[in-house]
This record gives sequence, structure tokens and C-alpha cells, in this order.
Amino acid sequence: MLIVEARDLFKSYPRPDRKGETFNAVDGVSLAIEAGEVFGILGPNGAGKTTTLEMLEGLTDIGGGVAIVAGLDVKAEPYKVKQRIGVQLQANEYFDHLSLRELLRLFTALYGRAEAPETLLGRVNLLEKADAKPAKLSGGQKQRFSIACALVNEPQVLFLDEPTTGLDPQAKRNIWDLIRALNSKGMTIVLTTHNMEEAESLCGRIAIMDHGKIIAQGTPQELILQHAPEPPTAPLHGNLEDVFLHLTGSALRE
Amino acid sequence: MNLTFVMTRTFLRLFSRDRQAIFFSLFFPLVFMTVFGLAGSGADDPMKIGIVDSAGNALSRQFVATLSANPLFEVSEGDEAALREQVVAGDLRLALILPAGFQDNGTPSALTVLVDAAQVRELGLIMPVLEQALVDVERDLRNITSLFSLTVEDVKARSQNYLSFVVPGLLAFTLMTLSIGGSGFNIVEYRRKGILKRLFVTPIQPKHFIGGLVLSRTIICMTQLTVLVGIAVVLFRVEVAGSFASLYVVGILGTALFLSIGFCLGSLAKTQQAIMAIGNLVTFPQVFLSGIFYPIETLPDLIQPFAHLLPLSFVATGLREIIVNGAGIGDILPTLAGLTVWAIVALGLAIWLFVWKEVAA
Repeated sequence: MLIVEARDLFKSYPRPDRKGETFNAVDGVSLAIEAGEVFGILGPNGAGKTTTLEMLEGLTDIGGGVAIVAGLDVKAEPYKVKQRIGVQLQANEYFDHLSLRELLRLFTALYGRAEAPETLLGRVNLLEKADAKPAKLSGGQKQRFSIACALVNEPQVLFLDEPTTGLDPQAKRNIWDLIRALNSKGMTIVLTTHNMEEAESLCGRIAIMDHGKIIAQGTPQELILQHAPEPPTAPLHGNLEDVFLHLTGSALRE
Repeated sequence: MNLTFVMTRTFLRLFSRDRQAIFFSLFFPLVFMTVFGLAGSGADDPMKIGIVDSAGNALSRQFVATLSANPLFEVSEGDEAALREQVVAGDLRLALILPAGFQDNGTPSALTVLVDAAQVRELGLIMPVLEQALVDVERDLRNITSLFSLTVEDVKARSQNYLSFVVPGLLAFTLMTLSIGGSGFNIVEYRRKGILKRLFVTPIQPKHFIGGLVLSRTIICMTQLTVLVGIAVVLFRVEVAGSFASLYVVGILGTALFLSIGFCLGSLAKTQQAIMAIGNLVTFPQVFLSGIFYPIETLPDLIQPFAHLLPLSFVATGLREIIVNGAGIGDILPTLAGLTVWAIVALGLAIWLFVWKEVAA
């Protein structure tokens, strides 16, 4: 069963450097994500990953195309879609002066639900920080807290935007375990990353984006077979990072 | 629970924990009240003047004694050089030099007045007072009874003073800063930190967010209004001639107006520095032009018509009419109309400027 379906998603923005001109941040993206998958969107900075996610989440107006998430047309019913999904954003700052417990209570109330904050904090191993302010958390703890915030409504689909960027290896593994645990209970997970190891070890299927388009899609093994630059005489030469660099070029991105 | 009330409760809790914001919202009005309350409690300070008595005769002694007895002046004597220095230093408003030939022999004596014109802005006010004092001395010396005498009577026959004038202005000023800060400053802050976006991940809609912000700020502003009026009444003996209900009507309209202005500014400014700058641009001129500290009538004639039309002027005038003159809602309809027009314009502009998706982005 498809739980996220995108057909020809399109979004253009005014160019910041040249007045009057626009650029296509997302340029005809189509996705078909099965319920229960961990689906990864890979791409260099500025490839359009976040904009694609935000259109699926109902955060950014859909410029063109159709998005169906959890059985609902995002354009027509964005607030109902939000009721059924969980979202973790790249930026994870919260109101000053509110503790983790109070923030979770706020987010729970915004979904019209009444889960105990302690249950949610327990799921991400932060129970002992219930009365702390988010500013006092470490990078990994912050990331786990923002996943807890995304879980308050028992979502059908969990969107994670670069969940491990900037974390140390221990914290990164910890988040991976959390993602696997959530997925093992049947939650669909859509994540963006530019960490190849993460994509390879977590994701059942991957889409590689660049310049607003999907340039390759498949399981990690399929992608390595099709796109790794080594000659295919020996099976599975190179790794996913080779595929990534081969497809998107090795020039530095801003 | 309705999402608007969830947000209202959240914003109220955030404000109640923001000690800095609470402190500053009460600090300035209280400091001003204290300063003006103390300054206005006694009679005006006497004017410090110096006298150089070059004559040193009976007549000049009597002149100095008469002037010293006048409560308007605090007289000190000395030689010309010393007094001149004190005038330059600003310790004396002026020094009066009685010439050596100062006597009652029928020829008028030329008295010299030393002033620093740059320091004595009220020179035009002082000179007639001084001349009057001289005439009094002369009458006294010659035993002439004055034809006229003046007694000042306050027609309002109430114990109102400058503090009563300034308190409504301070209230209006507090409403303005709390409201513009509450909407404009906070929105820029929440947007910059990504908090707005985090909120809009949930099924909350803009109307809930704005509704919660407006409701919580109105409650905060009315609480501050009550606290400040209470302090003015209890500690500074300011009389509130009108009703509290009328005060709240003007207060709520003013809050709505300034919140809308804040939403406009919050939409225009992308950074914290920018909101500070345009916030000051909007509030500072109003503080000086809206009759907060001095009546608008003291401004140049050319500016007055415009000054009367400023948003803060309407709020200050409305509150002042109620507190000082005991006006009811029916008496200040033009002021309320002005406030309403401003509120509608600001709200319309806020809606027009406010692109939610962009704000959250």
C-alpha cells in the first residue's frame, strides 16, 4: 500500500542574487513510498530535499503536481494531513522558559490528544530530562527530543530532515537504533541525509536528488550495481558514496 | 481544548516566566512616575541668583534683603568675578550687579544682569519675573501700595498636577511597547529560531496562533494597565475621575491597534536588528510627538495637526480624558473613532503583509 505518493512536484522561488528571475527548487519530483518502508532522500545541499519534504508535510505550498500522504491530498487538506504525520525539522529550537515536559504537553494539546509526556520521553530515553529546558540538552539529546515531539500524535508517517547531521558517532548510532525500533513497529519513515553510511544501513530504498530532480532511485544494492563507476566485471565495487559523487559531481556545494 | 486557548495559555506562561520582560514593562513607567511624582510634590524650586553689591549702602542692603525674602529666588552674594564663574558653570541662573552709584537720588540706576543665554532657555520667562521683583522692591522702598494683586485659582478645583497629566501618557506608552514587542518582536524571534515552523508542523492554523497571541497580549496589557493605575492611585495619589470600564475600552482598542502595527513590522523585518530599527522608527517619534510628557499644544503649530493624528496620541488622549477629566465613552467618541480607523488600517495592512507560508519558512 502506498502511503506517500508524489507526482511531478514542482516549486520555484525568486532567485536571491538576480531580481525578477526564478529557479526551480523542486523540478518534477515523483515518489512512491510503501507503508512500512524506511525511505531515504539523498542529495547535496540545495538539491531540493527539504523543499520536497515540506511540500509533502503541508508546510510549503505545492507549486505544481500532486501529493497524497496517508490517503489525503495535501493541497486540499493540509491540516488533516498534519494530524496523521510526524515531522522533525532541521532546526530544533523551542520556546525559552518551557521544559521538555511542558513542550510535549503543548504539542500533544495541539493535536487534541492527551498522551503523557513521560511516555514519549521514555521512548527516546530522556525521562530524566523531563524538567530541563531544551537549551540545556546535548546535540544528540536535542535530536531525540525533536523526534519525541514528532511522535506525540502516533503518526503513520514520520518525516526526518537530516536527523543525524552534526552528531558524534555514538549519538548517530543511537538515533539509528531509535529509527529502526520505530520502523519495526510498522511506522513508515522518510528521511533526508547526506550521510551515505546512514542511507545504506537504514534505508530500504533511496532516491538521489540533484538540482531539484530525482536522478536515481532504488535499493542501495541496485544503485551500486547500476551507477558505481568501477567496471561491473567484479560485483559490487565501490560504495554508495562513489555512486553519490559519480552522479552529482564532486564540486563543492554551498 | 480549543487551539486558540492552548496558544493563549502558552503565551501567558511564557510571559509570566520572562522576568526581564515583566521588569522592563513596569520599570520605566514606575521610574517616570516616581521622578515626576517627587518633582511635582513640592513648590517649584527657587531660582538661584547671585548679587554683586558694589554700592554697599543702606538702600542696596535693603534691596538685597527684599529680593532674598522673595520665595522665587535663592540669593547668594559675592564679588563679580566669582559670581560670573558660577553663572558660566551653570550653578547660578544669573547674577545681578548693583552699581556703585546705586542710591535713591532720583536718577535711575543701571543694573547689569549676567546670564549665559545658552543655558537659560527660559530667559524670556525669567526677565519679567525679575523686573516684577524690582518693581516690588521699588514699591516697598517708596511705600507705594500696589494697585492690583493676583491670586491664582485652579478652575478644575481638583488636586491634579503634572503627574496626573503624565500617568495616562505613560500608560499609553506601556501599551504600545508591550503590544508592538509582543507581536512584532516575538514573531521575528520565533521565525528566526524556527519555532513558528515547528508549530505549523502540527495541525494548528494561523488563526489559532494569532488569536492566542492577541488574546494573551490583551490580558497582559490590561493587567499591566490595572497594576500601573493602581500604583498611581495608591502611591502617588493620582485621582481617576472616570470609570475603569472606559479605561479598558480605550486600552483594548489601543492594544489591538499596536498589536496590528507589530504584526506589520514583524512581517517586514527579517532579523532581530531590523525589527529593533523599524520598531524604534515607529515608536520614538510618537513618544515625542504624541503628548506623552508635554501637551501637544506645546509643539510648533505646523506639527500639531499631525501629532494629534498619531496612534499613540489617540490612546494617550483617550486615557487622559478619562483619568483627568472623568470622560465617559460618549465624551470621547472622536478619539475612539480615530483609534478604530487606525486599528482597521493597521489590521488590513497586517493581513496584506502577512504571508504565512513565508513567515514560517
